Amino acid sequence: MTDTATEDGTSASETPKRAGKREVWFFYWAFTVFYTALSVGICLLGRATPPPRPDVTALQAAAWFDKHEPGIQAGFTFLLVIAGGAAISNGIIGYFMKRMSSGGMLAYAYIATMGVGAIPGFQVLLVCWLTATFRPDRSPDTLYLLYDLGMLSYNGSLGCFTAAYTVLAVAIFYDKNRIFPKWFAYVTIWQIVTELIASQMWLHHSGAFAWNGMITLYLAVVIFGVWVVCLLALLRHAAGRETADTPALYEPKGTR
Amino acid sequence: MSTAATRPRPAERRLPGDVDMWVMVLGDLFFFGCYFVTYMVFRAQSVDEFTAAQRHLNVGIGVVNTVVLLTSSLFAALAVIAVREGEPRHARRLLLATGACGVLFTLVKVYEWQAKIGQGHTMSDEFFSFYYVLTGVHLAHLALGLLILGVAFRELGPLRARRATIVEQGVLFWHMIDLLWVVIFALLYLMR
Repeated sequence: MTDTATEDGTSASETPKRAGKREVWFFYWAFTVFYTALSVGICLLGRATPPPRPDVTALQAAAWFDKHEPGIQAGFTFLLVIAGGAAISNGIIGYFMKRMSSGGMLAYAYIATMGVGAIPGFQVLLVCWLTATFRPDRSPDTLYLLYDLGMLSYNGSLGCFTAAYTVLAVAIFYDKNRIFPKWFAYVTIWQIVTELIASQMWLHHSGAFAWNGMITLYLAVVIFGVWVVCLLALLRHAAGRETADTPALYEPKGTR
Repeated sequence: MSTAATRPRPAERRLPGDVDMWVMVLGDLFFFGCYFVTYMVFRAQSVDEFTAAQRHLNVGIGVVNTVVLLTSSLFAALAVIAVREGEPRHARRLLLATGACGVLFTLVKVYEWQAKIGQGHTMSDEFFSFYYVLTGVHLAHLALGLLILGVAFRELGPLRARRATIVEQGVLFWHMIDLLWVVIFALLYLMR
């Protein structure tokens, strides 16, 4: 292959290789769009946040599905189609974690734990509630099981996310490249504490610690919202700092 | 008009610790404040039940833990003074004493939990739900505080930079733990 002359007289092979800036922005916006879609699908259409009452009877649960059938079917079907966006969202964070001096292992650990957490924390809810709304002729007890299983899986998928947030906080604390500021590690610790507190929702049918409780749900949502908004701003800042000269994460060792 | 001679030097105007830790402390105080308000709202809805359950707590143990934690904060504050005065070895000893108080607090708390669970006071009781959550989250913060104090202790080692700001950060966090415990003690043990 011959080199192509450019306007400044250098050959194309001498110009600096373009780093992943364009791709980084692409995946940043993919992350933003995915989380926005997630919020709309889960909260406005699917009615999973704020969640329905945990202290209802089987007939009330069946009636609740009947009432919210169009929203659940539209919102959750759409979320199932774009579910892979979760991996992209984890990937862009993993990309910046690999830029940290704390090393790539923590980045892979974050991606893996978030990926595992997405099954009980996302997919099971969608499948349970979609099954309930697409099969309304099933017995109320079966629908009640899907109602509880979906919600407890969604709200109870704590271990993996706790591990992921721990990994992220440790990576930020160890990082000397200042990819993310240290205060974000502390904000991430709030997330860890929140997840631990929310684990009690299995025990309570009402009150501050039920799955729709003031502490286990509403304060947890506020803290998660703070965390996501901070993360979006920091990712945007980190992406903006990347230039064409920023080295790629991997340099090709040869051509096939 | 102030002159360069009368204007305080930047070192005198600086924030103790760093902004990152202040974000943590102020945010944590806000979220704990939300927990406290929630507790008081639920308490106001069931005053009799909460008061009856509160009587099962041992105020003496709570007082002991309060004294232990206040003492630890005194050691921590003295450690900051020592490191600022260029006495890192003394500061290290004081940080050790602070950490020892933290461990003692933890042991007393675990003993208290064990006793309460043995008496049948579990999460099924609404008051004890708040009790275990508030004291548990506080204990998690204390464990994190011990870790941060460990980082500060290492910073004062003979081959280290011995930056005062690192010690200030650790002590700042420790004072927050102390402050939170005083409020938790007042709410759970004393408020009738």
